[in-house]
Amino acid sequence: MSHDTASGHAGHDSRSFGAGAAGSGAAGAGAAEASGNAPFGAGAAGMERILHRETHSSRAVASAIAAVLVIVLCVCALLESAVRAIGQPPWLVDPESAAENIVALPGGVPPLLLGVLGAVVAMAGLFFLLSAVLPGHRARRLLRDRRAAVVVDDEVIAAALARRARLAANVTQQQVMVTVSRREVLVNVRPTSGVPLSADAVLAAVREELDAMAPSPSPEVRINVASAGVIGA
Amino acid sequence: MNSTPRILNRILTGLLGILLLALGVLLVLLAGVPAVGVWWQDWAGGVWSRWSGLLDRTRFPGRQESWLWLVAAVLLLVVIGAMVAWLAQQGKGRAGLLAAEEDPGEVPGSVRIGGGVAEQALRAALAGRPDLAGATVATYEIRGEPALKVRVQPRSGVAPHLLAAEVSALVEALDAVVGKRTPVLIHISSGARSRFGRAERVR
Repeated sequence: MSHDTASGHAGHDSRSFGAGAAGSGAAGAGAAEASGNAPFGAGAAGMERILHRETHSSRAVASAIAAVLVIVLCVCALLESAVRAIGQPPWLVDPESAAENIVALPGGVPPLLLGVLGAVVAMAGLFFLLSAVLPGHRARRLLRDRRAAVVVDDEVIAAALARRARLAANVTQQQVMVTVSRREVLVNVRPTSGVPLSADAVLAAVREELDAMAPSPSPEVRINVASAGVIGA
Repeated sequence: MNSTPRILNRILTGLLGILLLALGVLLVLLAGVPAVGVWWQDWAGGVWSRWSGLLDRTRFPGRQESWLWLVAAVLLLVVIGAMVAWLAQQGKGRAGLLAAEEDPGEVPGSVRIGGGVAEQALRAALAGRPDLAGATVATYEIRGEPALKVRVQPRSGVAPHLLAAEVSALVEALDAVVGKRTPVLIHISSGARSRFGRAERVR
């Protein structure tokens, strides 16, 4: 599982999987009934589908890579077979001798090279297979609004919570790091040396901010106050 | 929001993944296990001798080459065309019109409002805000109906729910101008500009 952090680190697409994958659609509808609020997407027709599409990866990048790969291979094979059909000398390799080399395979190629080649090809295959099979959650959450459907990147939530924690703890920006993963918000605070810091107060402030935000799926909040303080902050 | 064919993407990338994985595992086994090599030479040799026999029987009359090569070239062209078509489907779905309706009044004709109206109005309304690093508005077509996507990049530390409420108030003002409730998606996103730009300290 990757995380989106509020301080300088680049955020990645969150790829979490497992039983707790309470997605946008069904869980959101249930929460709407419980709180009596407007549904996600302000009830507009087709919005549930749009929200599902916004919070899940489209695999466009993997598809484009796959298509380009197949096109390149096919163009090579096309050139060879066309050259062969009109009886010209081969471009890179004659298809018949290539087939004979493949049939004779463990011979003719160093085993180490063959094994490494196979491992690379298998890794590429695993990449495509996993990107097709995994649920592909993006690190995004839904917010309620009476007019529009609202989708927020986890990184934005992390930045807002970090700002709130920084104000509550009365420390500088560099002393707070907030990590938002799919089910949990982790607030890391390094106190200023010699200045007492109330973890409960910071936690309460972050919880209050998160309650006002009411993102779905809603994460748990944990706080971690470093034992070593920062000098001169 | 766009109409990328997601199920097709999953099926085709999954197929390619299974193929490549099987090929890779076969190569590793060929390199590592001698018994697999014996089986492979036997099996692949049989397949290849059948194919080369076929190539011999399908020669052009009076020439050396088989016409199967032409068939293979045509098949490969078809595959390449299909791949290009698949590639062209990614990220499709932008629309030009925000509203197109028959005018019920006395003047014959219809009313069309371009997506540029909403895009430029919202972008101009969001342009002066100090808490935003950028904003883009685009019109998409969802199942034949136009919809707006507003993507705002707040500076780091801006509370997303307050920002969403303010943007949706702008959208409601736009509703009053256009006279039609278009489905709207507000995407509050982060990017390089919000990550590395100065934080919004006072609000």
